[in-house]
Amino acid sequence: MFRAVNKRHFAEKCFALTTRLSLLLCAAVLLFLLGSILFQGIGAMSLEFLFTPAREFGKSGGIFYQLFGSLLIVLIGALLVLPLAFGTALFRNAYNSNSVIARVMDQSLYALNAIPSVTYGIFGLIFFVNFLGAGISWFVGSVILAIMMLPTVTLSTSQAMAAIPKIYNENAAALGLAKKDIIRRVTLPQSFHGVVTGLLISLARAIGETAPIMFIATAFSGVKVPNSLVEPVSTLPTHILELAQQSTDPQALQNAWGASLTLILLAAIFSGLALFLRRRLNREGRSS
Amino acid sequence: MSTLLLSQSKSLSRPKDAVKVYCQISAMLSVLIVAIILGTLLLQSGPVLSLKDTGLFTTEWNPDTGQYGMVPMVFGSVFVMSIAILIAGPLGLMTAIYISETRSSRLRRFIKSALELLTGIPSIVYGLIGVAYLNVWVADAFDLQSGRIILTAGILLGIMVLPTFLTLAEDAISSVPLKFRENAKSLGLYRHEVFKQVIVPQAKAGIAGAGLLAIGRALGETMAVMLVIGSLDRLPSPLFNPLSSGQTITSKLGREIGESAFGSVHFSALVFMSLILVSITITLTLISQYFLLRKNSRV
Repeated sequence: MFRAVNKRHFAEKCFALTTRLSLLLCAAVLLFLLGSILFQGIGAMSLEFLFTPAREFGKSGGIFYQLFGSLLIVLIGALLVLPLAFGTALFRNAYNSNSVIARVMDQSLYALNAIPSVTYGIFGLIFFVNFLGAGISWFVGSVILAIMMLPTVTLSTSQAMAAIPKIYNENAAALGLAKKDIIRRVTLPQSFHGVVTGLLISLARAIGETAPIMFIATAFSGVKVPNSLVEPVSTLPTHILELAQQSTDPQALQNAWGASLTLILLAAIFSGLALFLRRRLNREGRSS
Repeated sequence: MSTLLLSQSKSLSRPKDAVKVYCQISAMLSVLIVAIILGTLLLQSGPVLSLKDTGLFTTEWNPDTGQYGMVPMVFGSVFVMSIAILIAGPLGLMTAIYISETRSSRLRRFIKSALELLTGIPSIVYGLIGVAYLNVWVADAFDLQSGRIILTAGILLGIMVLPTFLTLAEDAISSVPLKFRENAKSLGLYRHEVFKQVIVPQAKAGIAGAGLLAIGRALGETMAVMLVIGSLDRLPSPLFNPLSSGQTITSKLGREIGESAFGSVHFSALVFMSLILVSITITLTLISQYFLLRKNSRV
């Protein structure tokens, strides 16, 4: 009896110790990752780094055109996905009452989320670059990123729409508003925060994507501001990729860290805005 | 119910509703995109599937002689994924237990937001960290000439899927009602016994869902793996030697899609590999959604 308690006690101690050690290990990994990016990145970071073009294949100079290209691709992508995601979410919540259709829609959005990013690149290469003959083009990159953003934006919008109190819709209908007026007066303003947070969260994710755009939208050097839809741009992730492959060159590595820090800060700005807006818009939307 | 009546009466009275048509088109497009992607991949896999003697299921990959054996890449993907899960699984689960059992809600919130921060790091940056640090450390630790080996890729991938797995596993564990734990504790059970006999049976489906999702992520991850795995199209020898260079499906695609001519058999073989990969990750994700939604109705 005494022995059994001892054994149980010992197992308990081991268990507690293991969970603590695991937490410490996770924290150490976290600190190492963030610390190394910050520490290495700050050494390369300066206003000059952000606003001068790259020289010598990225070894010296800054990342101005990469920064521009990254922002261009993701922001246009966000503009493209907005109407599609909103329409899909609206259909799901306002026009569709068939649960089978709703389930098919959900499943296909989950499936879209499950497709590996490199496959999006291959699909873009086959479908847009070759079938439709767009060539290597930043706009194709935007379209592909828009498709990748679709599940997040749609689900976020759809959740916001589903959270609108039923009584709002019923009151509006009782006042004799037509369906499309209810959408304009009730659904749209009440679910706006869902659209915006969904967009910002997916922007934060999209700006770091490399695999989907590296075959279809980017060129490594000699690219400036594009004059048309069908020209390549240079982006931060593909720039880091090129520099990381010359990892024996300390100067190239230094610039890669600077570009990484910039990329992470951009992503952090997008997700920070999402958090901020979610709180504010939630409060305004629900206050009445 | 009210929306149902409303939409019916409206569609009768006004057959052409622009907003409705817009919504229907959007919804149809959204659903069709998955089908279009899979269809495109299948179509482009045609050339390599219709040819004979391409040796798709052999271990020899050599486009010059028309040999497109995928076995080394499929094996590499599974091997690297297994190492990643062996690292992220136990570590994530034990940490999830600690977080969910901790009494400090501030600590919990802090850890949760730190994890969200980690999932925000792009995979190319993980790749850079792998190239700059992990690579060198592994080479030193095992006294190798190059650290670009399967083990390095596995460790890096384990770190990458850890936050995803940890967050979802923690959700599953904390969704077990408090009264179950309290009852078990009041019976005099130690914490590890509460965990084994009360929490695991309750949170099993959620943890399984988190695991499947992590496996799907691990299989589909490209950039980081591509930079550290060494890109060698051969099976390791001996077979389960993690210290040899290798190749995964994704690293192969990342390296070679740009080099192969569009429409060639070589390209088609790569697309076919991608199709296999997508089929696996979609299946895993849909199963994991089933698990996660069944146990965690709040997701």
